[in-house]
Amino acid sequence: MANFILRKAEPRDVPDILRLIKELAKFEEMEEQVVLTETELLQDGFGEQPFYHCIMAEVPEDRRSSDGHTVVGFAMYYFTYDPWIGKMLYLEDFYVMKEYRGMAVHTQYIHSTAVKSRCSGMHFIVAEWNKPSIDFYKRRGASDLSHEEGWRLFEIDKEYLLKMSAK
Amino acid sequence: MDFMIRAATPEDCKDISRMIMELAVYENMPDQVKISHEVLEQDGFCKNPFFHCLVAEVAEQYRTTEGYTVIGYALFFYTYSTWKGRSVYMEDLYVMPEFRGEFPGKGVGTALMSKVAQVCKEQQCVRLQFSVLNWNTPSLDFYKAKGAQDLTDSEGWHVLRFDGEALDKLAQMAPKN
Repeated sequence: MANFILRKAEPRDVPDILRLIKELAKFEEMEEQVVLTETELLQDGFGEQPFYHCIMAEVPEDRRSSDGHTVVGFAMYYFTYDPWIGKMLYLEDFYVMKEYRGMAVHTQYIHSTAVKSRCSGMHFIVAEWNKPSIDFYKRRGASDLSHEEGWRLFEIDKEYLLKMSAK
Repeated sequence: MDFMIRAATPEDCKDISRMIMELAVYENMPDQVKISHEVLEQDGFCKNPFFHCLVAEVAEQYRTTEGYTVIGYALFFYTYSTWKGRSVYMEDLYVMPEFRGEFPGKGVGTALMSKVAQVCKEQQCVRLQFSVLNWNTPSLDFYKAKGAQDLTDSEGWHVLRFDGEALDKLAQMAPKN
């Protein structure tokens, strides 16, 4: 029997998705920044025009976690657009519960999303202090575009968006 | 100068394609543009569009020497933050050089961006993100004046990409289930 399976998320997975999002945020010491709710996740992921797609990692019953979970990881992605090459896939987050790491779940996620998309490329961002992740991606052939081409990521938050849209 | 900002139509794709190339030339990467206006039409106007576009159009008397009245565009799409939910990523913002600001903050670029900000508000998006090349001082100044924060600088975010051969190799190793 396989150690785990990967499958498409369903509406019933929403509580587990939020639980895992919070676990990852806790690991990044940013747990209080998660303001997303189950209602929003349900609306945004399973409505007429989904804002995201999710792949879940699930273990068999006999390998459930100490607090009873069989859903032990997730990968969230959505489609973006490069005006020069067309459709792209953007990997937003992926995470595996600590006790289930080392089974190559992370690697399988990436492979899985890459093959399903038929897109020209896959983009994502990584914090420069997160050396294990950067090495993980570079070993698999990713290029660091901030380094090679000088791209810098910018953000305008709600306060300034409201100011701008009032003009 | 009279201009208006409106949602792009499939017929605008020829102009958008032209301006995509102009922007690529400005960024010193013209040979990287691989898609045609037909692909834009397909991808931008299907049931679940892969992008949305606003165009800036001037009144007839301001048309360019080649006869263009569509003189700027903003191309964006929706993204998702696992912490905060719906967001917008602005992929391109471009105004033809001859239509850029005598009056910083009141011109076509600002109008395009304000409309994108309005879309964010209407769709309950929490933020607007975009990327700028580190040598592009005019753009860096333009965005910073509007309150944009450089997250590469303040939080150390780097943009990574898998494409071409690296992406194919990755895909070949996918589990069969």
